[in-house]
Amino acid sequence: MSVFDPFEDFGDAEEIALRLADADPAVRRLAVIDLAEAASPDVLRHLLAAAGDSDASVRLQVAIALSDFGTADAAAGLAALVADADNGVARAAADSLAELKDAAAAPAVLPLATHESAFVRASAFRGLKGLRAPAALGPALAAMKDASAKVRAEALGVVAYLKREETLPSLIAATRDTDASVRAVAVNALSFTSQGAAATAVAAALDDENWQVRAAAAESLGRIGHASAIDDLTVGLADDYWQVRQKCLTALGRLKALPAVQEIAALLASDLPSLRKEAAAALGEIADPSTRDALTAHASDADPDVRKTVRWALTRIG
Amino acid sequence: MPLALSPTAVPVVVDEAKCIADKGCTVCVDVCPLDVLRISDLTSKAYMKFDECWYCMPCETDCPTGAVTVNIPYLLR
Repeated sequence: MSVFDPFEDFGDAEEIALRLADADPAVRRLAVIDLAEAASPDVLRHLLAAAGDSDASVRLQVAIALSDFGTADAAAGLAALVADADNGVARAAADSLAELKDAAAAPAVLPLATHESAFVRASAFRGLKGLRAPAALGPALAAMKDASAKVRAEALGVVAYLKREETLPSLIAATRDTDASVRAVAVNALSFTSQGAAATAVAAALDDENWQVRAAAAESLGRIGHASAIDDLTVGLADDYWQVRQKCLTALGRLKALPAVQEIAALLASDLPSLRKEAAAALGEIADPSTRDALTAHASDADPDVRKTVRWALTRIG
Repeated sequence: MPLALSPTAVPVVVDEAKCIADKGCTVCVDVCPLDVLRISDLTSKAYMKFDECWYCMPCETDCPTGAVTVNIPYLLR
């Protein structure tokens, strides 16, 4: 028998838990760390008891430790800690809440959706998003009219993750939100559907005042895959921001936008290598023989990536 | 492995006022992949015993009280 024991002994949970009653907060905090490492299910009870500790550093450690337990009890403990008076504890608990993946945790988190603090409401929806619990749909739809933009964005994420066609009207309404970050999330969220109404709403977002929303709209249109968006995307090729032009090119390539090939080919002469490359890639996707000459002219482009993509596009046209 | 016996500048610096190793904490010693940190018998605080650091940072990140600082050499930054 070997003297070497490959399995480290992390100690008995009950023994460690005795230290939770110590007068020194640092000792209690270390006990929480040790309990989390003991990796046995019966430590959860002790951790939840320590969640009510008077010292913030102990509660912080509990908030971090609870992310390793996916159960409903742990979620309830985290739900209490998200509303903690200490900012550090609340933030750590919110991060741990977002790690939960089991839908069984949803009932513990749902009551927070109507909490008075905007941070708690936003954290609740951030946690609920990954759980994909159908029960969260109602509160999330209600929170899409919340006064705080952060809450609206997170609630939107919950609705979008459930991917229900019947929520489309709410998602489309959110593309006209007053806050740009919410509009960007909404536009991204609509990419799961192939409904014409969604394509129309996202195409309208190509005229948004915020360039990030416009870029998100172009990307989303490529995923929705509606040919009706080709005209709007072609207009987007003249956007002030190259990031938007680039996304429009990618989307047009995905849509196999035959009517737009001349406008795409014009961007092969762009100053920006990334745009030239994306234009060549889009032309390769569309593979229209009328663009062979324009592509051939760039077969010896100064940028190696552009050269490679142009040559690939030429092989596609044949 | 060279022993750091004389006081020289080592990359991992522990703030002894913040370190709670005397209360039983061994987080930095446990996470170090090169096993170069120790708890001092004299001060009961953590210190860098062997100067073989890879600058991987878990000791600094995981320290519960933020007592550990890893000084990354200028040329590696």
